[in-house]
Amino acid sequence: MPTDAPILEIDNLSRRFGGLQAVDDCSFSIQEGMLAALIGPNGAGKTTLVNLVAGALSPNSGHVRFGGLDITGWSPHRIAARGLVRTFQISREWAQLTVLENLLVAAPDQRGEGIWNAIVRPSVGRAQDRELVAQALDSLDAFGLYAMRNEYAATLSGGQKRLLELARAVMARPRLLLLDEPMAGVNPALTDQLAGHIEQLRRGGITFLLVEHNLEFVEKSCDHVVVMALGRTLATGVMGDLRRNPEVIGAYLGGESVASAAG
Amino acid sequence: MSAVVFYIATIVNYFFIYNILAWGLNIQFGYAGILDFTYITFMATGAYIAGVTSLGRQQPGTGVVYILGWHLPFPIPILLGGLAAAALGLVIGLVAINRLRSDYLAIVTLSVGIILYSLVGNFTNLFDGFNGLVGVPEPLNGQVHLGVNTYTVFYIAVAGFFMAILWVVAHRLLRSPLGRTMRAIREDVDVAEAFGKNTFRIRLWAMVIGSFFAGIGGALLIGFIGAFSPDGWSTQETFIIWAILLIGGRGNLWGSVLGSFLVIALLSEATRYLPSIPNNAFLEPALRNIVIGAGLIVVLRFRPRGILPERKATFAEVRAPAPPRESARLEPGHAD
Repeated sequence: MPTDAPILEIDNLSRRFGGLQAVDDCSFSIQEGMLAALIGPNGAGKTTLVNLVAGALSPNSGHVRFGGLDITGWSPHRIAARGLVRTFQISREWAQLTVLENLLVAAPDQRGEGIWNAIVRPSVGRAQDRELVAQALDSLDAFGLYAMRNEYAATLSGGQKRLLELARAVMARPRLLLLDEPMAGVNPALTDQLAGHIEQLRRGGITFLLVEHNLEFVEKSCDHVVVMALGRTLATGVMGDLRRNPEVIGAYLGGESVASAAG
Repeated sequence: MSAVVFYIATIVNYFFIYNILAWGLNIQFGYAGILDFTYITFMATGAYIAGVTSLGRQQPGTGVVYILGWHLPFPIPILLGGLAAAALGLVIGLVAINRLRSDYLAIVTLSVGIILYSLVGNFTNLFDGFNGLVGVPEPLNGQVHLGVNTYTVFYIAVAGFFMAILWVVAHRLLRSPLGRTMRAIREDVDVAEAFGKNTFRIRLWAMVIGSFFAGIGGALLIGFIGAFSPDGWSTQETFIIWAILLIGGRGNLWGSVLGSFLVIALLSEATRYLPSIPNNAFLEPALRNIVIGAGLIVVLRFRPRGILPERKATFAEVRAPAPPRESARLEPGHAD
C-alpha cells in the first residue's frame, strides 16, 4: 500500500551529453509500495534517468534521494547495497556463469566475498551458500527456470533471460526495483507471466519503477505513471487520465501510439 | 647422479615454477578478467627482491654493491619477493583498474612494464642494470650442503612446497563466493557493480593476489638459477605465460598445469633437440616462440576456451521438498 513517504525523489535532475540535454530539470517522486511506470517517446531521456538514479552516470545538476538519503553521485555499488537495484534494457546475464550462480552472485552481504573468509575460512562462505542455494532454487522454481539451473546463462532463450534478470534482481533483496524495459522483445504470454511476477513481488513489499513501452500493461498494472518528453517530466498520474492529456498525446507524435494502444 | 636425472629435475623445477606463474595470471585474467600484459614484471620484482634480500651487500671481487643486501635466511627472501610483487600489483592496480576498461588496461600495463624494464636496465645502482644479479645463494643449501645435481633434485621439494600452498590458495579462491563474484565481474563489470559489488576493490584483490603468485614464482626462479637479469623478463616472456594460460584453459587450475607442462616441458624443450644451425645464435629462441605460437593458434582454433576449459560450478542441492519432476531420478536402483 502506498504510504506518504516518497521512497525515491528526483529533484531538478539534469544531464547533458555534448550538445544534447538528455535529462533537463526533471523532477518527480515515487511512493513506497507503488508499481510505477516511466513512459515517453524514444529519446525522452528515460534510460539516462535510470542511469542517473542508479549511479551509472553523474548528473550535471539536481539531486536523487532514496529513502530520504541523498544518493546523488554515489557509485552504483553503494546505491545497490542500499536496496536500489536496477536491470538493463538488454538482458545482461553473466554468460559463463550458470543460471544458479547468476542468482547466487546477486545475493547481498556475502561473508564469503571477504578475502580472509575466501582463503582462510572457506567454511563461512559454504555455510552461507547452503542457505543461498536453497533460496535461489526456490526462486528459480517460481520463475520456471529450475530445469535450467545448471546451464550456462548464455544458453537461455531471450525470454528465459528476461525471467533470469528479474529472478536475479529479486535475489538482491531490493527495496526499489528499477526495471529498464522488462517487457522489451517479449511475446504476449511471457509479458503476462512477467506482469504476474512483478505484481506478486510488489505485494511482497518491493517498490517498482519500470521504463516501459507496453502501454496496455502500464494501464492495467501500474498505479502511477510518469511521462517524460525531451528530458523533462511532462505529466504524472494514472494512465487513464494521461491518455486524454493533450500534452502527452502531442509528445507521442500526434497521439497515434497512445490512442491506438487505447483502442 | 646422472645427467638425465639432473636434466629431468631441472625441467620439473621449471614446470612447478611455471604452474605457480600460470595460476597467478589465471587469478588475474581467468577469474577476474584483468588483461595484465606486464605479468612478467611482477615475476621479476619477486626475483629481484628475493635476490637482494638473500645476497650480501658487497660482492667479493667485483666491486658491485647491491641495494638492501640483507643476507636473510630461507624462506624470508621468497616471501619478501612475493610481497614486493603484490605491492607493485597494488600500485599498478590502483592507477590502472579504477577507471579503465579492459583494453586500455592492457595498454597501460604493457607501457608500465616497458618503463620499468628500461628503468631497471639503465639504473645500474638498483639491480646492476643489464648485468643483473649473480651469485644469489641457493635457498637452504647453507643447511643441506648439496652438490649441483643433488641440489637440483632437492629444489623440487622447495618449489613443490610453495606450489602446494599456492594451489590451496588458488583453489579456495576459485571455489569461494569471492571467486564467483570475480568471474561475474569478468563477464560483465557494470552488472556486478549494479548488484552492489565493489568491483574496483575485488579486481584490485585479484591483481594483488595474482602478483603475489608471480612474485613467489620469480623468487623461486632466482633461487634456482642463482642469477637474474632483464633478459629473463623481456616483454615477450609475459606472453609465454599467457600462452600457457590460454592453451591450458582460463579459469581452470588443472588447465594451467597442463598448459605449463605442454609449453615449458614439451614445446619449449623440443626446440633444443633440433640440429644446430651454425652462425645463427638467435634462431633457437626464435624457434621456441614460433613453436609456442603455433601451438596457441592450433588450440584457439579447435578449443577456443583451452584444452581444459573452465568447469561449471555445481552445488549440493538442499531443498526441503523435492520437486516432483526430479523424483524419478531419486528412486533407488536408478543408475547414475
